[in-house]
Amino acid sequence: MYPPKLQAIIDLFESLPEEEKRENLIAYAEQAKKHGPKEGEKFDLEDVRKDEECTDTVGVFMQVDAERRVHFRITLGPQVQTLTKAMTAILCRGLDGCTLEEVLELPADFVPKIVGGQLVRIRSQTVYYILTRMKSACKAYANRLRAAAGGMTNDK
Amino acid sequence: MSENISAYAHPDVLVSTEWLAEHLEEPGVRIVESNEDVLLYDTGHIPGAVHIDWRLDLQDPVVRDYVTTEAFADLCSRNGITPETTCIFYGDKSNWWACYALWAFRLFGHTKVKILNGGRDKWVAEQRPLTRAKPKLEPVNYPVPARRHDGAIRAFYEETLEHMSNARPMIDVRSPGEFSGEVTHMPEYPQEGVLRGGHIPGAKSVPWKTAVNADGTFKSAEELRKIYGEGAGLKKDDDIIAYCRIGERSSHTWFVLGYLLGYEKVRNYDGSWTEWGNRVRAPIERS
Repeated sequence: MYPPKLQAIIDLFESLPEEEKRENLIAYAEQAKKHGPKEGEKFDLEDVRKDEECTDTVGVFMQVDAERRVHFRITLGPQVQTLTKAMTAILCRGLDGCTLEEVLELPADFVPKIVGGQLVRIRSQTVYYILTRMKSACKAYANRLRAAAGGMTNDK
Repeated sequence: MSENISAYAHPDVLVSTEWLAEHLEEPGVRIVESNEDVLLYDTGHIPGAVHIDWRLDLQDPVVRDYVTTEAFADLCSRNGITPETTCIFYGDKSNWWACYALWAFRLFGHTKVKILNGGRDKWVAEQRPLTRAKPKLEPVNYPVPARRHDGAIRAFYEETLEHMSNARPMIDVRSPGEFSGEVTHMPEYPQEGVLRGGHIPGAKSVPWKTAVNADGTFKSAEELRKIYGEGAGLKKDDDIIAYCRIGERSSHTWFVLGYLLGYEKVRNYDGSWTEWGNRVRAPIERS
């Protein structure tokens, strides 16, 4: 149902008691910086902005390889919440090598499986934000491909 | 910290980061962290601090209300807090949730409360120590409070409606866009289920942020008097209601008005705009 790398992360979190789940989320949050762009890397799409729904600027940098598989790098402003940082590292790892279509079709219902019901609340809905931005990047890139191929684009 | 802290109405309700750093093991004191970021305490906290989650620990899991007096007593007991313990609250977001937790403790009659001026951000900015070690506390006895003191510091919808009808002062502490009705969520946050935008007729807009300095500390008493006295027209004996969206930002303003400026009758309408803005036929003004 989910991409294999993401499924492995989901399986891990689902097996953990609440306390260890929190510890692992923090460990992932601490790795978020490692998923930023590396010097010299080039990207097929860059989208850096601060939206109303998130507490700080988020940059999405996407590479698409010859097999149309995507690789994400993400930058996060310092005010981004811990849970959002954790989800950044999880998604960068879990979706690495997916196709554009796999990212676009990914349902968001895996988030509570990883985070747990206690931590998902209205004020922490930005946990979904990174996935939304990744999908947005994939959609923009797919539209660009269609336009280049002479097809119609439809952003709506 | 404000240079002239003694000018506040109740200056002893604030502690500085310097003071706290030197009194981390002060007898009779419990440091309490309360945040919006649900994992922030776990990433590192002030040594000895306990964590109180505004949602899980203070709010009823089903009804939109606070926990029972029994649950509050249990919360305090397991966090090593007795009725004689002075709780020093701090947290993220310039102490929004610290003030909210303090206000909730007051609902249960716990009056020995203080705020760390500048909150978590100032402590971290000054590179003071943090730890991930959670304090190992023996449960203590916190007798179940006889009642909650909602009447003194909490306003409900009907009371707020009556307050409005009598043209008594109300402070809307939300952002200008929320007050005007231009937006139904605060900047940088998701929508929280509000159906209508605007404000309670007659309320004055004084965003919570006007009460703090860039480092999260409270502005001086003189500055605060200008903002709320001269600016918002509040008078010494006024009966005041503050509100926001869910009651956390208005807890901050409630703290400023009551503890720092000494207004004696200040209530927090914690139903706030997520109740008022959804209520059928509740009067709304837009500007």
